[in-house]
Amino acid sequence: MSRPISGLAAWGIALLWGTLPSSGAAQQDTARPLAERLERLEQQVRILSRLQELAADSAREAARTRTLVTVGSDGFTLRSADGNWRLRVGGYFQADGRYYLKDREALGTSSLIIRRARPIVEGTVFHYFDFRIMPDFGTGQPTIYEAYLEARLDPALAIRAGKFKPPVGLERLQSATDLRFVERGFPTNLVPNRDVGFMTSGDLSGGLLSYAVGLFNGVADLGFGDVDGSDAKELAARLFTQPFILQGRRAPADLGFGISGSLGKERGNLTVPATSMLRTPGQVTAFRYRSNGTAAGTTLEDGTRARLEPQAYLYRGSFGFLAQYTISRHTVRRDTSAAVRIRHQAWQIAASFFLTGERASFRSLTPKRVFDPRAGTWGALELAARIQETSVAEAAFPYFADPAVSSQRIRAWTVGLNWHLARNLKLMIDYERATFLGGAATGDRPPENFLATRLQTAF
Amino acid sequence: MRTLALLALACSIGSLWPLRADAQKPVTLLNVSYDPTRELYQEVNQAFATAWKAKTGQTVTIRMSHGGSGKQARSVIDGLEADVVTLALAYDIDEIGTRGGLIPANWQTRLPDNSTPYTSTIVLLVRKGNPKRIKDWPDLVRTGVSVITPNPKTSGGARWNYLAAWAWALKQPGGDAAKAKAFVTSLYKNVPVLDAGARGSTTTFVERGIGDVLIAWENEALLAIKELGPDKFEIVFPSLSILAEPPVTVIDKVAKRKGTAALANAYLEFLYTPEGQELAAKHFYRPRNAAVAAKYARQFPRLSLITIDQVFGGWTKAQKTHFADGGVFDQIYASR
Repeated sequence: MSRPISGLAAWGIALLWGTLPSSGAAQQDTARPLAERLERLEQQVRILSRLQELAADSAREAARTRTLVTVGSDGFTLRSADGNWRLRVGGYFQADGRYYLKDREALGTSSLIIRRARPIVEGTVFHYFDFRIMPDFGTGQPTIYEAYLEARLDPALAIRAGKFKPPVGLERLQSATDLRFVERGFPTNLVPNRDVGFMTSGDLSGGLLSYAVGLFNGVADLGFGDVDGSDAKELAARLFTQPFILQGRRAPADLGFGISGSLGKERGNLTVPATSMLRTPGQVTAFRYRSNGTAAGTTLEDGTRARLEPQAYLYRGSFGFLAQYTISRHTVRRDTSAAVRIRHQAWQIAASFFLTGERASFRSLTPKRVFDPRAGTWGALELAARIQETSVAEAAFPYFADPAVSSQRIRAWTVGLNWHLARNLKLMIDYERATFLGGAATGDRPPENFLATRLQTAF
Repeated sequence: MRTLALLALACSIGSLWPLRADAQKPVTLLNVSYDPTRELYQEVNQAFATAWKAKTGQTVTIRMSHGGSGKQARSVIDGLEADVVTLALAYDIDEIGTRGGLIPANWQTRLPDNSTPYTSTIVLLVRKGNPKRIKDWPDLVRTGVSVITPNPKTSGGARWNYLAAWAWALKQPGGDAAKAKAFVTSLYKNVPVLDAGARGSTTTFVERGIGDVLIAWENEALLAIKELGPDKFEIVFPSLSILAEPPVTVIDKVAKRKGTAALANAYLEFLYTPEGQELAAKHFYRPRNAAVAAKYARQFPRLSLITIDQVFGGWTKAQKTHFADGGVFDQIYASR
């Protein structure tokens, strides 16, 4: 239905009609500025579009050459865009409390200590070459703990030179920040700590088999060396397999087992006898060879030193298991005696379990729910327990070691609770009880009841 | 004595054996060049490889890297392993010597014609029919004229463009540095997009359809007409322009380390041969060789050309005054 046009509207239409061009030429005159305006607008659109293209090109170029700076749980990292250059500054800090309970004979001194304070500077130069420098300021003795250069030529071939962990003890190879107990177990007392040398290592078949072979100056059990006291050197090697590694997260378990060892010669002297010692769980010396600064009263390492360690771990779900059996054979003599071979041995079986459901691992973990009281989350809780034993062959007594101060055997059990507040923050508490065979003027050294606590931060 | 002579001969043959073996080994050269030389060196590389193979039996592959001339020089200084560079202007190669320490100070005297085997100049490319009626430099500062030229901070060609415009203004009656600066400032006010290199600007003008006039290398303008047809673009030769001399040199330290010095020298010398000069002319670079230049005279009209030394006192001075950080170009562009 049509609507009648009102009088006013009719006047309006008439007026507009009157203003419209009445000929084709006039229409062209109007169209020209419109076309020019359209062309100008089109130019503007093209310019904006091109500027956008150029900005995108610049952004791509900048991303290609930009140095990436990240700050997070892995410390401070600078990385070139192509990944060929990297510098990471990190570190870890452990403040411990050591308490010797029922210690009537005052064999241990309860104290608070800075167990480890280790800044780490590591990086990559020229893609294939890594370096790492890690001093330690813990226990009041600043020292260079690790300093090495490594060429990663292939996953199957890396060559490392400098000061680092020789590839012998399983728990020694685990980072100090990832330990399940405040102190490592007895087997670690029988393997080198850090030594200077060079090593070839690599992963074959995607990590199914790992190998490491190195030549080192050679240090005593639990030893830490910067220079060598003799010309003799030590060969260390390790073969380790992880049969399920290729299955990734579908693997039934993270299982690893292998064997490691070392073989070398050592020649001690009166200043550096190079002999070994045993420590209690509370880090008190419970066995040492005789040493009074005289040739007649000092036992020296003098001949072949050999170590062998079958080792294994298993992590399945929240459960973790680690076992080591370490034999360390020493050749010792005292004064003009003939050299005698003495066997030290140690084993441990350790287990751990996450009460909060985290997946256990040989390496560090991130709690499912980090500590955040406002959000009602409290981090991860982990229970740990172990039994362990270490002993020295009877042949060491009494000529090479004094049975009145050195124990022949230590047995210990440990229970612990670890509270992982976040990946970078952990609280630990362990209770350990150790019993001894010998090591006192009469009978056995009294049992050690040791409570250890730790506050750890790592980044 | 005879035994001794035989022994000496055997030793000589023995000592030559590795050289011969090396000579037969395929070798690769890297030529780091500026933006618009892609087509030229594609053909030069093929021709040189064929000539070298015929002469020595050795297979040579020449890889190319193209980009803004200044940017390319910085890449070489930063470690891009160029055996030779063929850049847009001498200053960029000077930088490789002074900042990178990769070539001697006298590099430009090592090859004929100041190590510039071909030249070019700066012209104006407009759309067919020249809708904005652009005849010479002053038309570029008119209101409503959109000018395309690359960024002088990254592009060698852009620096030639800038200096050509500056020189024209300077040469006008009553012209001086202040008037030239005012002219160039007005010109850059009409520039909507600054590409990083000359080829990028050609893309902006030719393919993206932006702007009314492209200030371009003569070879780039002739190539655009050849590729897209004379029905799309036409060249305006300004009343005055600049003699652009893109030089070449071997990067001594790199070539020595790679053992390619002799080959790299031969490669650059090839550019001066009649065959190399023909290829330069074919790709719209003005050849140095008189006979080849005469053959292509119709392609390259005679122009009134100033040189960088005459008007600007050489590249070092021009660079410092105009293109260094805080220089005249920065002042001009900041005031836009």
